[in-house]
Amino acid sequence: MTPLLEVRGLTIRFGGLVAVCEVDLALNPSEVLCIIGPNGAGKSTLFNMISGIYRPSAGTVHLDGRDITGWPAHRIAAAGIARTFQSSRLFNDLTLIDNVVIGMHSRTKSGVLDALLRPGKARAELEAAAEKAGELIRAISPDLHARRNTLAGALPQADRRRLEIARALASDARVIMLDEPSSGMDDRDTDALMADVRRVMAERPGLSFLIIEHDMRLVAALPDRVAVIDYGRKIAEGDFADVRLMPRVQEAYLGQKAAEHA
Amino acid sequence: MADTAQATSALVRRNGPSADLAIVAGVELGSAILLWSFLLSDRTAVIVALLALMGGIFAALQLRPALEERIVAAFHDRKRFATLLGAVIVLIYPFFLQGSGYAFHLLIVSMLYAVLALALNFQLGSANIPNFATGASYGIGAYTSALLALNFGVSFWLTLPVAAVVATAFGFLLGFPSMRTKESYLALVTIAFGIVVHQLLNNFDWTGGPNGLVGIPAPELFGHSFARPIEAFGFRLPSQANFYYLSAALVGLSIVCAKRLHESRVGLAWNALRADPLAARCQGIDVVWFKMLAFGVDAFLAAFAGTIYAFYVSYISPDNFTFLVSVTIMTMVIVGGMDNTLGVIIGAFFLTMLPEKLRIFSDYRLLFVGVVVILFLILRPQGLFPQRARNYGEHR
Ligand SMILES: Nc1ncnc2c1ncn2[C@@H]1O[C@H](COP(=O)(O)OP(=O)(O)O)[C@@H](O)[C@H]1O
Ligand SMILES: [Mg+2]
Repeated sequence: MTPLLEVRGLTIRFGGLVAVCEVDLALNPSEVLCIIGPNGAGKSTLFNMISGIYRPSAGTVHLDGRDITGWPAHRIAAAGIARTFQSSRLFNDLTLIDNVVIGMHSRTKSGVLDALLRPGKARAELEAAAEKAGELIRAISPDLHARRNTLAGALPQADRRRLEIARALASDARVIMLDEPSSGMDDRDTDALMADVRRVMAERPGLSFLIIEHDMRLVAALPDRVAVIDYGRKIAEGDFADVRLMPRVQEAYLGQKAAEHA
Repeated sequence: MADTAQATSALVRRNGPSADLAIVAGVELGSAILLWSFLLSDRTAVIVALLALMGGIFAALQLRPALEERIVAAFHDRKRFATLLGAVIVLIYPFFLQGSGYAFHLLIVSMLYAVLALALNFQLGSANIPNFATGASYGIGAYTSALLALNFGVSFWLTLPVAAVVATAFGFLLGFPSMRTKESYLALVTIAFGIVVHQLLNNFDWTGGPNGLVGIPAPELFGHSFARPIEAFGFRLPSQANFYYLSAALVGLSIVCAKRLHESRVGLAWNALRADPLAARCQGIDVVWFKMLAFGVDAFLAAFAGTIYAFYVSYISPDNFTFLVSVTIMTMVIVGGMDNTLGVIIGAFFLTMLPEKLRIFSDYRLLFVGVVVILFLILRPQGLFPQRARNYGEHR
């Protein structure tokens, strides 16, 4: 089986700082891979390279066997990689529905001429998108659905994360990357988040998740595999049960002293 | 405050249909009468009183968001009636102007500025692109059509689309740097573009240099020259009425364009890049393309306004299209309300007429204009009519 998303030797330097160094990752269809590691390890930077916000200094990214290294972010999104951001980036002055409809940008077509000369067709496309967006929001949370015509900027933190996930789902992506989705959520919210991921995966065969996460409860329960990043390098990969026992991982997390005591 | 107003908009109590009709008719006729008294009075006391009345209305809207929601809901539910009544008012308005050429002139210029402000609104309001060159696109449109008419005898009706295409091409050209430059640099590029266009118009021979172009012929429609008065129903409207109706038609066209684009995938993409360009890119939006598109649409509409202006005054010079014109258009968008079609039009009318009506203050005129604008912005910090949320699922 060829991996859905394959990252090889991915490296980026900011001046003298090597933020990510020769990271290899492979994500199979219908798989959840969690990326863990201390703050500043380079996890978000890795996402930024995969999604085309940063151009890697070296290495390649393949989606479904196609080399997408260095593509502009909008083409990578259209190719099927959606993402959320560590500090959620919603379109604050737009409604929840608008936010999710914008997530469907690359699945809809109307341009300026359609909008001006064939308004019925353009409008129908948008209405259909809005209806689908409403359903996506409802599936994530009935509370959010009740607020679908209010502005995204007024949402509390946990709802912002949910809406961002709904927006990512709207694109019909094949890979969804979540950057610390459970931050700002309590245990109940986190459980709902895990249930959402499982539900969506059951509904959409082949869809895979790449999740940066700090909540060890989630990391223990949700992913098929875990990759550990420390100082920009991948230091371990495998089952969470195995990975957590590796001395290098414990050092990375607890510091060397604590690891020796443990 | 605005957030909660929008949040409750769906819950606003809706009265019976006759109440809606009364609200729509009252607001439209009231506005028409207000504008009429403002246009035709030149007594200081009356003008100050009218400004105070407007201030009071906006203060009431600000303090009672439910009032505004109620009016918006009535217009929304009675869209067809509102449009029809509005069209009738625009149609018969000239008959009430007592043949005052000055009132006609103010209305025509206001409407042309309304088109320019709507054009800029696609950029500044929808997409938050600061374009200081709308005045230049206006000028390119005016000069293109004037040159075509003077040198090649091309008819006004043909110069309209040609000038629009030429200006749009320049608009895209101006949008090119948005590929590389960051927001603030882009603003500088547009300022430079405006100044370069002005300087070129000033220095070329074939544009008439600083003297501009003179003797642009009046348009004709079915044998009726726009230089001649309109005679209808025993009434005689001055020749400016021709351009009044022409400008009104252009405003109507601009409103339709604005609405259609706003309620489309393109409008959403512009809004997305206004709110967060990086997140917009990650939704698959080609930010550079959509920015250039906004420059193109802006120039397209501005050129229409330029063509009508050139044929209306029959004489244009580079000084009609300075950097200051662009800044004025920008002020109209900001004061009227970013990304709100009605607001932008009101902003254009307000800022065109205000300086004219405050002539009594002679040398201190602009100072008073500034004071009045600031007072209104204190009353309505988001602009006279702030941006509103889209509605879905309510179209037939
Ligand atoms: N644009 C940038 N310029 C310079 N340094 C950066 C940039 N982006 C990230 N870094 C650095 O890269 C390192 C990894 O950051 P990040 O990927 O955000 O870590 P995390 O694993 O917590 O998500 C940090 O030292 C950060 O300062
Ligand atoms: Mg991070």
